[in-house]
Amino acid sequence: MDMVSMGLLAAMGALATVAGASEDLESDVGSQSNPNSQVQLAAQVGNPHRIYNKAVSGEPPSNALYAALAAVTASVLMSGYGMNAFFAIAIGAVVASLFNGIYSVTAYMGRNTSQARFNQYVYLDVLRTHTTTIMAHAYITVFCVVSISYIMTADWLPIQHPFPMPLVAFIWGLAIGAIGSSTGDVHYGAEREFQNYPFGSGLNAANSGDIVRKAEAGLRSSIDNAWFCAKFGGPATGMAFGLTVFLDNWRTTIFDPATQGWFAILTGVVIVILFNIYNRILEVRARKRYGPYPEYAGEIEA
Amino acid sequence: MSVAAGGGASKIELKQLTIYGIAGGILGIYLTSILNGALDTGYFAFLAGLGVIAAILMGSEAVRTVCAYGIGTGVPSIGLMAMGMGLVVALFGLSIGGIAGPIIGVVLAMAFGYLIGLIANKVIKMNIPVMEQTLMTLGGAGAITLTGLSVVIAGTIDYQLILETVINTGYIAVIFIAGTLAILHPFNANLGPDETQDRTLVHTISTGALAMFVAGLASLPVLGNGAGILTMLIAAIIWIWSFMWYFKLVKRDASGVLGTGLLPPGGM
Amino acid sequence: MIAFDANMVVYILEIVIGGLFVGVGVHFVPVGGAPAAMAQATGVGTGTVQLAAGSGLTGLLSAGLMMSVTDNMLMIVISGAVGAMIMMDATMIVGNWVYIYGVGVPPVSAKTDYDPITKDPQPPYISPGTVGHGIPTVSYVSGTIGGLLGGAGGSLIYYSLMNINENPGLSGFFAIGIFVVNAVLASYNIQGTIEGFHDPKFKRVPKAVQACAAASLIIGIIAVLITGGV
Repeated sequence: MDMVSMGLLAAMGALATVAGASEDLESDVGSQSNPNSQVQLAAQVGNPHRIYNKAVSGEPPSNALYAALAAVTASVLMSGYGMNAFFAIAIGAVVASLFNGIYSVTAYMGRNTSQARFNQYVYLDVLRTHTTTIMAHAYITVFCVVSISYIMTADWLPIQHPFPMPLVAFIWGLAIGAIGSSTGDVHYGAEREFQNYPFGSGLNAANSGDIVRKAEAGLRSSIDNAWFCAKFGGPATGMAFGLTVFLDNWRTTIFDPATQGWFAILTGVVIVILFNIYNRILEVRARKRYGPYPEYAGEIEA
Repeated sequence: MSVAAGGGASKIELKQLTIYGIAGGILGIYLTSILNGALDTGYFAFLAGLGVIAAILMGSEAVRTVCAYGIGTGVPSIGLMAMGMGLVVALFGLSIGGIAGPIIGVVLAMAFGYLIGLIANKVIKMNIPVMEQTLMTLGGAGAITLTGLSVVIAGTIDYQLILETVINTGYIAVIFIAGTLAILHPFNANLGPDETQDRTLVHTISTGALAMFVAGLASLPVLGNGAGILTMLIAAIIWIWSFMWYFKLVKRDASGVLGTGLLPPGGM
Repeated sequence: MIAFDANMVVYILEIVIGGLFVGVGVHFVPVGGAPAAMAQATGVGTGTVQLAAGSGLTGLLSAGLMMSVTDNMLMIVISGAVGAMIMMDATMIVGNWVYIYGVGVPPVSAKTDYDPITKDPQPPYISPGTVGHGIPTVSYVSGTIGGLLGGAGGSLIYYSLMNINENPGLSGFFAIGIFVVNAVLASYNIQGTIEGFHDPKFKRVPKAVQACAAASLIIGIIAVLITGGV
């Protein structure tokens, strides 16, 4: 353990937090992944809308694609043309966000066209205003993820992971997609999409498809949704990915894996146990603070 | 999802597309290898890319067919499964087959896909009638995509060269995921009651062209600037042509393509 | 070329066991699918394969790093398992943050009247019209076990492939391919959503064991015959 390694670790943790936040916001502007099923359902139950219906396969594969693509471009530029790492990663991120733009546009057009019988229009101005926002968020995500991969694999830096850089970027892209889909998307799906219902309840099955389509002035747009989710869902996702990257690499930085491997593993086990205890504390506090539902009419004592 | 999956009737049968896909894919791979070897150049790598687009069309139609039955876990899983099956088997075929490597890889991948379909129906009892046939097609599509795009990068089917230029550098990561998305994105993006086969397949051509572009980009340090830029240029031209065709079909099928506007009457 | 010897059998067995770990591990991960993202069902709001792949492959990264400095199979596999568990736990904790503070619901499951681990009553806290929400203690512990099995399985597959072909990039990719096939087969078995080991769907694990064993055996035989180059 030395100062350079700890400094690099801190940089990786910070990059990961920013990447997590921008990945979640990108999927909120585009309404990707699971909350999109409600957007899809809305048109079918008679609620057409102007939300960006970006259905690109779910976040893990699509983020894995952007990260791997940027890493391959950066690797090509660095090894084939001797470009500086910083510029290579930036150009790689531009190529990846262009691909993101193409997939998003075709997904929006495709999904809305296939709902023609419910009178869901394809709005070209939604494409024009939102696609660039989505691409910008994807650029930030991909730049940070590929930078983390570069730090882990570069042969003039201490970590020197044996996998090639595009493979490490692929794995982190898959992980960030899985994390973003599990955490921040819930804030968008359960809270923002159904803000017209009172706070403090899950989505009643009878209200499926009744998403918010009218905004404070005019019609709800997905950029409004990103504004809201940037206050909690985005940063929470950033914390999740940042914790994952940081804790995973912290164990092997403070304990050299070659000589003190078992200490590193023991630290990991202690962290896992602490997480489990913290979850129990959270659950007890939530149950006490919120209490049982007053409409509950069954026999089980709360 | 409680959404009706895919509604359009098929004008081109899966069996036809399977034959075109396999024939086109294998032809493209061998043409590239033979022409590049005979003329000692890298410029013919794009032919393998064209073959890969044919195979991706076959895979996309297979996804369309099987998801109409509602497999319950969504479209991305089946695309990932196809590429996962194709990955190991295709490289096995290349490593032991020598000149017949790609064919061995594709045949084994289709057999493996059929086996997984049998396991899914008989052991897990999913009872989906077309499962074996479509997983067989998907295995073949995955194998051809991986082999073909590796050949676009490396220029030949020689296993040592592919190992050095595609696997050790990590470029196979992007081939894997770009191929996966090329197969599963078109059906996922056009999901809905008014999905039509021609619009989905035209969309597939455009995602296949994107995968070819990516492989061309990765081939720049391997085959040199000329060959790489040629592949990228041809891929870009195919993408522009198919995207404009796709937009025409969107205008044909949608209930309204508006520059701007409020919700339709009755929707407020 | 192809050289068949006794060690091959051990390697194939390791790949099959790794595949089984992955397949069974997927059954432990609490996934609620699209309804969970709307706080309509218990579990993490994502797809089965997505979360299992995300955590298992993060474990693969830790195992890869460990394998480059040591040869001890136990250390490598446990290191991979710990990496996957950390990712799974961090994800589920932040998921619970969003459910509790963002949406305003207590974590609760609808498949059982009393949580098997904490014995807390569940039905009074379920929102009307939903089948539970959040990640209660039993699902959290189940998810941790799922992360452990998934990470251990992926790392075991990677370890055995590295012993055959000594090529980290090739072995890493094959491990990803084998992982994905097993995870998708297991997700077909649970048909999309499961709450953990207390869910009645968990009784279908034996079918997944058979399916994953058969698939991993064939892929294992093929994978051990691929050389890693000189």
